[in-house]
Amino acid sequence: MRQHPNLRKSAVAAALALAFCGAVLADETCNSPYTTRLIKGQEDFVHVWTLGAEGVGDGSDKLVTVDANPKSKSYGKVVHTLSVGGRGEAHHMGFTDDRKHLWAGGLDNSKIHVFDVGSNPAKPKLVKTIDDLAKKTGFVGPHTFYAMPGRMMVQALSNSKDHGGATGIAIYNNKGELVAKHAMPTGEIGGVKGDGYGYDLAINPRKNVLLTSSFTGWNNYMMDMGKMVKDGEAMKRFGATMAVWDLKAMKPKQIFSVPGSPLEIRWSLNPKDNWAVTATALTSKNWLIKPDGKGGWMAKDVATIGDPSKIPLPVDISIAANGKGLWVNTFMDGMTRYFDLSNPEAPKEIYTKKTGKQVNMISQSWDGKRVYITSSLLANWDKKGEDNEQFLALYHWNGKELQEQWRVDFNKEKLGRAHHMKFSAKGKQT
Amino acid sequence: MAAGALAHRAEQRPAAVRPVMDYAPPPAGSYALHVIQYAPDGDVVGHDGKGHRLAEYTRGRVTLLSLIYTYCTEPTGCALAYETTVELRERILADQRLHGRARFVSLSFDPLNDTHEAMQAYGGAQANADAALPWHFLTTHSLRQLQPILEGFGQDIEVERDALGRPTRTISHMLKLFLIDRQGRVREIYSTDFLHPEAMLNDIRTLLMEEDARR
Repeated sequence: MRQHPNLRKSAVAAALALAFCGAVLADETCNSPYTTRLIKGQEDFVHVWTLGAEGVGDGSDKLVTVDANPKSKSYGKVVHTLSVGGRGEAHHMGFTDDRKHLWAGGLDNSKIHVFDVGSNPAKPKLVKTIDDLAKKTGFVGPHTFYAMPGRMMVQALSNSKDHGGATGIAIYNNKGELVAKHAMPTGEIGGVKGDGYGYDLAINPRKNVLLTSSFTGWNNYMMDMGKMVKDGEAMKRFGATMAVWDLKAMKPKQIFSVPGSPLEIRWSLNPKDNWAVTATALTSKNWLIKPDGKGGWMAKDVATIGDPSKIPLPVDISIAANGKGLWVNTFMDGMTRYFDLSNPEAPKEIYTKKTGKQVNMISQSWDGKRVYITSSLLANWDKKGEDNEQFLALYHWNGKELQEQWRVDFNKEKLGRAHHMKFSAKGKQT
Repeated sequence: MAAGALAHRAEQRPAAVRPVMDYAPPPAGSYALHVIQYAPDGDVVGHDGKGHRLAEYTRGRVTLLSLIYTYCTEPTGCALAYETTVELRERILADQRLHGRARFVSLSFDPLNDTHEAMQAYGGAQANADAALPWHFLTTHSLRQLQPILEGFGQDIEVERDALGRPTRTISHMLKLFLIDRQGRVREIYSTDFLHPEAMLNDIRTLLMEEDARR
């Protein structure tokens, strides 16, 4: 970060460089921003945490690395795959605070695979597998991996006792040792009863706030979607709350009623803002979480996403670095939607494009010029037959329309179901 | 390096840019600080210029340890660590009940330029071994000594390169301060966005209350 006024000792500098030089990783707005070296330029690689699919290639979950540098000869091509053996319902990933390692979870087997992406981002290595989550915490289904200084917050989805939605947050140090566990709130706070469910988490250090959302347990997310939607009891077992926690104390302070399973949480990255957004999967709404003017927080339904009566199923969001725009992917209709967030109290859907027969994750580059999309939601929730497209696609966004640049067919390449993405780069890209 | 140049180094310390703190921290003792990891040991050049074990500076008192280098010019980097620690020092010294129970340590991650003399010059008037609240400015003799300490703390640093790929004198690093209990266990880690002196003071008080309860 800093410069030395004295350029002496070049040999010494070289020794330092040899000792400590490592690759630098790129950033996108869906990461925990509390990591080193936030990079705001061109990413070199996109790593895709991919679910193994029976009869597709080796059938194993794998980390797929795709060249994303337009100057490269292998631009838009798969340059590396790393199978972890077996199918554990690969889902989400997160960088450690030093951005050297990528933690990737399995919602079914509850394993956390730790990949070294710092040494050579073109060829990630599996360096550790953490398999004590259920044994030590009683939580299963590690979902969100959110970097804190020297440690990782892991939001789980379920529990080992009944595989329902009651779950919690596990804190690991960067070496992969469990530090603490915290159950999601089930009591009543401010007249709203916690459902104990979890999904995503995100923090605001300026306010000492942790926000959490709620989805469903193993019994549902591992069930065939067609069967589940016909099961009235199963459909009752979805989260309908968000919680505000005292981050330092890790104690819930408020619970909001947010019907329809609020999923991804994104704080505005504009340092002048103190609000966050989420989207509800079943009710197809954008919600705003903001200070209530009385020292607390409030959650507010601020927009609909598509036609909620058709259950488009918003499954992922990606906020612009300046907090002025929000991408939303709706799984069922394969639509990618852009909301003008200039007024977060009243987001406006200003652009819609069909980007696949099914779409799930969406990640934009820090400069907002590139938007990556993948296709898989959950192995048992993905569409069947010809509708089961599996891909990673890159679009350019010029502020008016999305223009497809390339698309990697994960079925044709015998890779599996493409899910979560993270970016990396070979050099500093600020 | 000449004394004048060393003094200049301290004078060149940039003004820090403080992270916004817009909350009342939870009261000391009302929350738990879990054991994150053990603080590593290793050989260091002590406050007296002699060889010491790092554990001598991380055991027996609640310790706030920062990893820095003296010519860091980033307003949200080492300068922030320094200013935050200065403010904490004032707050602790204002409460006699805290005297003799805490210490500060600043350890350089550039032993090649940050000699013992350079570290003392960087610390200036803050560098002291006062019983009430010592602040030790330490370095190491070599990269060989330093590296296991950095790895133990999980402190990542990287020498930046110029357009031709040559190493520059700029060291990229994530600012981290470690709060360590009397037993040498890391109980909190602060990066730039979390350097809120009022909350940090409560963390120190929380660890001291924990000690008191154990007695």
